Amino acid sequence: MNQHFARTSIILASLWTAVFLAGCSGQKPYQNTPDNNLHVRTTADSGSWFSSVHAAVDIHRVTIDCRTEYEGTVQLSRPMIDVGIPPNRWSRLVFVFSSSSFLGNRSGSMTYETLLKPRSGYQYQVKVTYQDDMYNVVVRETQPDDSTNREIEHKDLRSCQAKSIERSRVTSNSSPR
Amino acid sequence: MKRLHRVLIAIVGVIWISGCVSHPQTPDEFRKAVPSAFSAKVETFEVDRPFNQVANTFQKMGPNCLSKTIKTTSQTRTSYQVIVTTYRPTVLVTPKKAELHVQFHHDQGVIGVGKEPEGGYYLLVADASPVNQTKTRIDLYRPSMGHGVLIQAVKNWATGDNVGCPDLTK
Repeated sequence: MNQHFARTSIILASLWTAVFLAGCSGQKPYQNTPDNNLHVRTTADSGSWFSSVHAAVDIHRVTIDCRTEYEGTVQLSRPMIDVGIPPNRWSRLVFVFSSSSFLGNRSGSMTYETLLKPRSGYQYQVKVTYQDDMYNVVVRETQPDDSTNREIEHKDLRSCQAKSIERSRVTSNSSPR
Repeated sequence: MKRLHRVLIAIVGVIWISGCVSHPQTPDEFRKAVPSAFSAKVETFEVDRPFNQVANTFQKMGPNCLSKTIKTTSQTRTSYQVIVTTYRPTVLVTPKKAELHVQFHHDQGVIGVGKEPEGGYYLLVADASPVNQTKTRIDLYRPSMGHGVLIQAVKNWATGDNVGCPDLTK
């Protein structure tokens, strides 16, 4: 009886710890919108047997006054992943490259963030690479019923001003770029 | 090996400071100090790329890639170290010259000695100037030990090959 109680206690304690740690990490899976408009192609190679690199993207909603609200994280663990981002509103995409070295027991992470306001019906190809200790993120926009695409200029939150976001929103609503 | 480089750079930095030689406080002072510094060197080369393209890449990639605060942790059986470093890039462009200055400041984990310039210690300065319509000269004032990924990234921005951001945790 005592043995059974001890085992149950250990299992419960482990479960509680796992739940606690999961909650404390602050990460939650991102809930896609129905139309998967963002197609992320990832190549991540640490270039060494003794280290690893992992990529993920945190998605935040950008409010009119340029504040951000975390919506969730997509683990870029597969070479091709489709994500649904709400169209016609600004989102902040933060690409996170986490690397760790087994030999020196070192770890660190780099982030690359950009703002994106997907247009309805448009598709977005994101090329995420980490190779030779260099990383890069390129976002391209493809028009509906057309194979032509253009590179979306990088824009970070520091360039966000309430007026510019609002102006851009109005412009986009009245006449798409 | 990289850790050894970091330790050596730190030691050299301390010697530089304790030897009554103050840290360069401006990019010009940095350019003048590098040729005679033990832990830094000047590298000059030409790239087959028009000056305005090199300047544009500096302007685009410098702020995007180097305005970062980096936290690295290293752990052994007997120690646990956290270092937080903030990098600050500055890009200045005129019709005849493009300058990239990279400064860094340790927010945590490293004790600063000596007077630190506003924005942090100078780590690297890259000057680009036009040779002719298709070639650009690069003068790179850079560390001679460590920071290989940063140096390679700046060279790539100049040549236009494999343009990306350096993993500053390396």
